[in-house]
Amino acid sequence: MSLKITDLHAGLPDREILKGLTLEINPGEVHAVMGPNGSGKSTLSKVMAGHEDYAVTSGTVELDGINLLDMAVDARARAGLFLAFQYPHEIPGVSNANFLRAAKKSRLPEGEEIDAIKFYKDMYARMDALEMDRSFTSRSVNEGFSGGEKKRNEILQLMMLEPKYAVLDETDSGLDIDALKIVARGVNAMRSPDRGFLLITHYQRLLNYIQPDFVHVLKEGRIVLSGGKELALELEAKGYDWVKEEGLPLAA
Amino acid sequence: MDTTVLDNPPDTLPERETLAPSGLQIIVPSREDLEALPAWFRERTASAWKDFQRLPVPSVKSEPWRYSNSKRVTLSDLHPACGASADEEQQAIEQSHPISGAAARLVFVNDRLIHRDADKLPAGVVCVSLAEALRDHEALLKQHFMKRESFLGSAKFAALHLAHVKAGTVVFVPKDVVVEHPIEIFHWVTESNAAIFPHTLVVTAEHAQVKVIDHYRSSNGAPALSCAVADIIAGAGSSITYVSCQELGEKGQALHLSSTTTHHDSKVKSFQVQLGAEFSRSESVSDLVGAGSRSDMLSVSMPVRDQVVDQRTLQRHHAPHTYSDLLYKNALYDRARSIFSGLIHVFENAHFTDAYQTCRNLINSEEAEASSMPGLEINADQVKCSHGSTSSPVSDEELFYLKARGIPDTEARRLIVLGFVSAAVSRIEDESIETMIRERMEEKFARMVIA
Amino acid sequence: MVIENSDISGIKVDNVGDFVFPERNKYDSGFGITEQTVDYICDVKGDPDWIREFRKKALKIFQDKPMPTHWATKDLENIKFDEFRYYLSDGQKPKRSWDEVPEDVKRTFDRLGIPEQERKFLAGVEAQYDSEAAYSNIKAAVSEQGVIFVNSTEGLHKHPEIFRKWFGKVIPTGDNKFSALNSAVFSGGSFIYVPPGVKVKHPLQAYFRINSEQFGQFERTLIIADEGAEIMYMEGCTAPKFETATLHSAVVELVAMKGAKIQYVTVQNWSSNVFNLVTKRGIAHEDAVVKWIDCNIGSRLTMKYPGVIMKGKRARGEVISIALANSGQHQDTGAKMVHAADDTTSNVISKSISVGEGRATYRGLVHIPKHLKGCKNNTECDALLINPNSRTDTYPAISVRGNKHATQHEASVSQVSADQIFYLMQRGLSEGEAMSLSVNGFINDLAKEFPMEYSVELKRLIDLEMEGSVG
Repeated sequence: MSLKITDLHAGLPDREILKGLTLEINPGEVHAVMGPNGSGKSTLSKVMAGHEDYAVTSGTVELDGINLLDMAVDARARAGLFLAFQYPHEIPGVSNANFLRAAKKSRLPEGEEIDAIKFYKDMYARMDALEMDRSFTSRSVNEGFSGGEKKRNEILQLMMLEPKYAVLDETDSGLDIDALKIVARGVNAMRSPDRGFLLITHYQRLLNYIQPDFVHVLKEGRIVLSGGKELALELEAKGYDWVKEEGLPLAA
Repeated sequence: MDTTVLDNPPDTLPERETLAPSGLQIIVPSREDLEALPAWFRERTASAWKDFQRLPVPSVKSEPWRYSNSKRVTLSDLHPACGASADEEQQAIEQSHPISGAAARLVFVNDRLIHRDADKLPAGVVCVSLAEALRDHEALLKQHFMKRESFLGSAKFAALHLAHVKAGTVVFVPKDVVVEHPIEIFHWVTESNAAIFPHTLVVTAEHAQVKVIDHYRSSNGAPALSCAVADIIAGAGSSITYVSCQELGEKGQALHLSSTTTHHDSKVKSFQVQLGAEFSRSESVSDLVGAGSRSDMLSVSMPVRDQVVDQRTLQRHHAPHTYSDLLYKNALYDRARSIFSGLIHVFENAHFTDAYQTCRNLINSEEAEASSMPGLEINADQVKCSHGSTSSPVSDEELFYLKARGIPDTEARRLIVLGFVSAAVSRIEDESIETMIRERMEEKFARMVIA
Repeated sequence: MVIENSDISGIKVDNVGDFVFPERNKYDSGFGITEQTVDYICDVKGDPDWIREFRKKALKIFQDKPMPTHWATKDLENIKFDEFRYYLSDGQKPKRSWDEVPEDVKRTFDRLGIPEQERKFLAGVEAQYDSEAAYSNIKAAVSEQGVIFVNSTEGLHKHPEIFRKWFGKVIPTGDNKFSALNSAVFSGGSFIYVPPGVKVKHPLQAYFRINSEQFGQFERTLIIADEGAEIMYMEGCTAPKFETATLHSAVVELVAMKGAKIQYVTVQNWSSNVFNLVTKRGIAHEDAVVKWIDCNIGSRLTMKYPGVIMKGKRARGEVISIALANSGQHQDTGAKMVHAADDTTSNVISKSISVGEGRATYRGLVHIPKHLKGCKNNTECDALLINPNSRTDTYPAISVRGNKHATQHEASVSQVSADQIFYLMQRGLSEGEAMSLSVNGFINDLAKEFPMEYSVELKRLIDLEMEGSVG
């Protein structure tokens, strides 16, 4: 049981971006992937989720033994993979509540309905935890949201959909420190022995609030260095070039 | 008056007395330098003359003339402009103030080139009169001269232009050559009841850059017609700014047909300034034929008294990843009217197109009237298009705010109007040209106050 | 299409109106339209002489007027007027109870859910089958308030003093070729009069059903809300899908007297062989409101531009419209707003969705003439393109005179972007669900304008049309 990426080669039609990436996340673990701009961080999340712009040339991504790469975007999501987007899309006219209900319902067997009372109760409790105003439920998904509101909304969806594995793509970007704390609190509340996390980030700051078990350095499409949470601090202090200069051995 | 009939088809009725089938009376073309013209050109003008006679006057009910009236174009009392006196010519040259640093200046009076100053142009740049171009750059003209069908309702008037055209400017900028300062062309009409037919052709080769300004002016308020054509063709990666500044006298009529063609990755800005004439109709077409190209279509007008400004535009996206943005601003006074009709047409394969169109009318009197017909025809996918049109008076709050700071009413309104048009003017992104346009508007304001 | 005989049990009602019963007409005007056709209709209906004259004058105008193809689609030329029948009926008077309605007709409306809706939330229902109403009833409480709700024939026979005053006054016969055609052969439609101060709480509904092939339906509706009265009228329309063309050409006139309010709701779901060419216009007197809420789904070609003439001070006109054009369909819709008094306000919100090779066109006219002050217009039209071959056009015309008015027009064209679908699918929705949610989001703010029951129906119809548009 794990989210397992093996020797993944993928990219745009004319350019390979991930060049043999290998990474395994077990339930209960929080992994952080850090890397400079252009190292392939965002590509990794989109390839895992199945974005059509990216093509996989070789390698596998398995979720608890199921090959995700053969599945459509929605099937991957229902299998238990959640992606918190770096730039959450605006969905005009579709209210947050209706959207979440549709997403929840898609996970139920055919013909089964959502228990509306329980749904709203859960949603309100989680919104309170994220300090979100009740008016969010009737606003269109991400439309006119500030950067911080969008990120909080991603975490609300994470909390409501309760995936097995969550990939958070640059969730800290564009957040002030207060908003970052709220978002981190939401994520920490979701940590459990049954759930694995992959945090993708450029900065170490996020890791002050969400403590990872493992830190990996992504460079030129591969994991070049792995370690514990102290590696993040070292990276912050010395910069990404240090990895190259030190000529450190590649991570397994 | 010179009514020498040249290239006239045998069955043409003599002189100006005759009514064309259209109901408009005919101005017979006059040409003095026939022998000098290449045969193909003579053939085209002759056949245009037939077209003019054959084509009906556009019906008031026809869509391209909705809210307007082609009958406003009265040809009956007009004759083709002929020579001016030495005094008139001298005066025209003196009054054709160029932008400081202008790369070239050409002055035409009554369709004759009387002055040219083009010393500052970089080597290789062609900037010649139509007659010279016909002699020295025949291939260029054969390729580009009036190759476009007229879509926007004035096929008859385009034919009239072609039948009569003898004066104009041909600009060609070779590959990689940048002409930093504008080329300025002044067209004067000094005679009463005269018609001029100015022609402008601007062609750029790869990665060239040029700015061209056409001025259309009268030396007096007498009735006169300017029936002009300007074709702007931007080669791959090139950039052209074209400004047409129409300031004919108060009984003038302007029929100005302009077009831009943008090839791969090129950029064209075309700007129509409409300040003069009793009736002024501009038809502007942008053809975006090369992927990655961009066309900005801009205009300001400030019709007063009974002036009519009739604007028809067409943005045609033929290629994918093309971008066009139109902004027309009209500030209306007295009993003036403005008519804006614009269409964005995105062809089947022009995916990933962005096309925008905005017309804003500021109505400064109880009797001014603004009609807008913004249109979209979208046949492609992944397109971002929008149009907007507003008509409204000067906001009372805005006026109050300025007056509360001690600014008198007239001055406050002037400031608001200048502010209103500045969104369009500033898009030229050339300070000297922007200043020139603002000065021409100020000049009209000054005349309004006197009137 | 389902051919009906006797037993309809066990048939899934999923493609809404696509079923047909055998014809059993007592009166049939035959194919084509001549003066004899008009006389035939007058004789069957027992029209008074002034109506006979009115019809004949209209026929002449219809015959003389050319097709408006100088601005409209050339598809109009494919209408073969000789291949339609202009009047069909079984010769029975409209029934006041569903039990008295002939079995096939009753089943038709059962399937369309009309009696059920009537029980649930309507103040009155008229159900028209081909040329004549089969059922017409108004709740006693409403008729006791003096509200008249009958078909047009009954209106002109029994209430000539009101009918004649307004009939043909809002839309002159010669307004366009199809208003002239309707004026020549009209039959059916509603006549409604609401007395001063009466506010009808629940909607009145009419349902227009075409059952016969090669037929033209020409209902004529006239609604008058007297001073301070309020009424909401809803109409639904369906027809089976025949191989040949069907013609529907209605004329609807609304008169809102001082302070009155009329809301006219249409949910049209024509099959894709119907030419739907309808003229609708209302007059709003002082402080009155006329609001058109219009949903156009289906048909081969719909041309419909509901209008409001704001004749009295502070009158208000509104058009809220949703159009969905699928492959083989052209929704050519819009609005006409004529301001004819000071301080009048008009609002047009139009949303169209083009699916497959469908084409949606918006045409608008806003006219604010001289010597008026304080007039306002707001127009918004948004188009959504679903597939690469979908098409949309927008042709508004706004004319404003004077500096005492404000108009604004905004239009946009957009797609449901691939990234939007990706985002929704990442949350577990299938591609179809993601598309449906996006489209419903696009029209959501307008769907709210419809009465609840219709709003639900609308979403269902749109989902049905969207099926198979992705993937």
